[in-house]
Amino acid sequence: MLKMTHLQMVYRTHLIETHALRDFSIHVREGEFVAVTGPSGSGKTTFLNIAGLLEEFTGGEYWLDGVDVRGLNDNARSKLRNEKIGFIFQSFNLIPDLNLFDNVDVPLRYRGFAAADRKKRIEESLTRVGLSSRMKHYPSELSGGQQQRVAIARALAGSPRLLMADEPTGNLDSLMARGVMELLEEVNRQGTTIVMVTHDPELAARAHRNVHVIDGQVTDFDEEPRLRKSGSGESGVGSGLKAPASV
Amino acid sequence: MEIRPILSALMRSKVSMILIGVQVALTLAIVCNALFIIGQRLDHMNRPSGMNEADTFYIGSSGFGQGFDAQATIREDLALLRQMPGVASATSTNTVPMSQGGWNTGLSLQPHQKSSTADSAIYIVDDKGLDTFGVKLIAGRDFKPEEVTDIKFGDSLRPSVIIVTQAVAEKMFPDGDALGKSVYLNEDPPTSTIVGIVERTQQPWMESSSIENSTFVPAYMPYGNSSRYLIRAQPGRRDEVMKAVEQKLAESNTSRIIGKVRSIEETRKEAYAGDRAMAIILGAVIFALLAITALGIVGMASFWVAQRTRQIGTRRALGASRTDILRYFQTENFIITTFGLIVGGVLAYAFSLWMMQAYESPRLPWYYVPIGFLCLWALGQLAVLGPAMRASRVPPAVATRSV
Repeated sequence: MLKMTHLQMVYRTHLIETHALRDFSIHVREGEFVAVTGPSGSGKTTFLNIAGLLEEFTGGEYWLDGVDVRGLNDNARSKLRNEKIGFIFQSFNLIPDLNLFDNVDVPLRYRGFAAADRKKRIEESLTRVGLSSRMKHYPSELSGGQQQRVAIARALAGSPRLLMADEPTGNLDSLMARGVMELLEEVNRQGTTIVMVTHDPELAARAHRNVHVIDGQVTDFDEEPRLRKSGSGESGVGSGLKAPASV
Repeated sequence: MEIRPILSALMRSKVSMILIGVQVALTLAIVCNALFIIGQRLDHMNRPSGMNEADTFYIGSSGFGQGFDAQATIREDLALLRQMPGVASATSTNTVPMSQGGWNTGLSLQPHQKSSTADSAIYIVDDKGLDTFGVKLIAGRDFKPEEVTDIKFGDSLRPSVIIVTQAVAEKMFPDGDALGKSVYLNEDPPTSTIVGIVERTQQPWMESSSIENSTFVPAYMPYGNSSRYLIRAQPGRRDEVMKAVEQKLAESNTSRIIGKVRSIEETRKEAYAGDRAMAIILGAVIFALLAITALGIVGMASFWVAQRTRQIGTRRALGASRTDILRYFQTENFIITTFGLIVGGVLAYAFSLWMMQAYESPRLPWYYVPIGFLCLWALGQLAVLGPAMRASRVPPAVATRSV
């Protein structure tokens, strides 16, 4: 699903070069739930931006769902991002002047879906996150946990193959955070690959696999996906264990 | 097109939308009416005088002292002028078009008629008058030398023949048979026979409601000891001839003062100075209004771009291309401008109605408002282009930056 090989990301000014990512390699397979952890400034967000096609990289290779993203122009990156990736942000990033229906509609409009198809998808995804009765409400009328649920609905509405979550519970209290995590786990169980950036070890422990980043390099990773208890029984992804991830 | 969500988002921040909308509305209403007034002024300024304006000029002479013979001086001056190099034609005249001063009279079909059939300016010229004015004779003939009489200032005009403009001819004889007909110049007999019709000669008064009603009378008639000459120079030699004429007339008779020599073009410029000033002022008002409106749009759009940087980044992250972001701001501007234009269109017609009632101004032609719509739509799109392009350059990575 996502494969980075010897990736480099160097920010240059006329005075200094900053290596945000160096020799960064990771392979996330379809259906995995991977947590990327590390301290502040370690390069987690840079990884997320590059993985989410929000930023270009300066060296190495990156394949997203079989597409070599090197050299893609802005339009092609936007299209690929829209089709393949759903985003969940720490600050939810809902558009305050749009109601929930229109917020979820944003990526679908850029996708060019027909109005009827969009409506169906919006209703389905808001139902999936338990907010179908509040479609005409505005984000400011919701709690933080509900807003993040809307963001998840927005991320899922276009049926992306990969969900990128940036500290998805960072702005939530523990109760709401638990609810959001359970929702993400459920989404993952239904087949969506999730890459979550977090500095919370407790959340990271709930992922199949952890990748630890320090100073722009992968320093530690699980060789084998962990088994974990989840709701009705033991589960990895789908029916069980996934193949070991290469990092 | 994202019209519905943009509209619903705008409805959540009505104040900004109303401010820009009102600005657009007032601009449309004022610009349409101001442009119409400018158009009227330009039409007014561009009315043809019927003369050869490029080559003609006039000069006055005022005799002084006992024994000054004004009638003889006119003949001598005309003889002198006509033999000067560069002079194509010369005549004595009481006035010229656009000079704002002259005589008028009423032309009647019956003696002692209570009110005249047509009012007309009077140009007292000799047999070279039409040629010097450069007017176009469209029917009949010019004056003959023997028809030009000497008239003392203060005597009634009782010419046996006259030449009228087409406007006078049509007013007096709507059936088109004016040539050869007799009319009364002073309500009293005798009559004057129309021997010629010229296409057009403007009156001296710019605000006259019958600007093309003019009559040529064949006579030499000084105003006391004063006389005026109209001279037509050969093409391209006017300025040179003007200087020579001024000098020659001054030298030819030391018992008089030669007035300032003035070209007809200069006279036109002075006559329409008020119209020109009005057009310039209104033009400046239009420019200022359009500039203020454009700056208002630029300012508001720039503020919105700055305010929504994160939102733009989020949209980009969710799949919007740069073009999508550009289109978003342009659509938003289009919606706001359209609201303003609808209100402005109503205001424009209402303002025109008020002008009609208060100043008897003509009605604003219908097409001014749709043209104004197009211009202000274009202005809005141009004004928003800069901020919209700035917005389109917001990188998608902004979405993941900490607040």
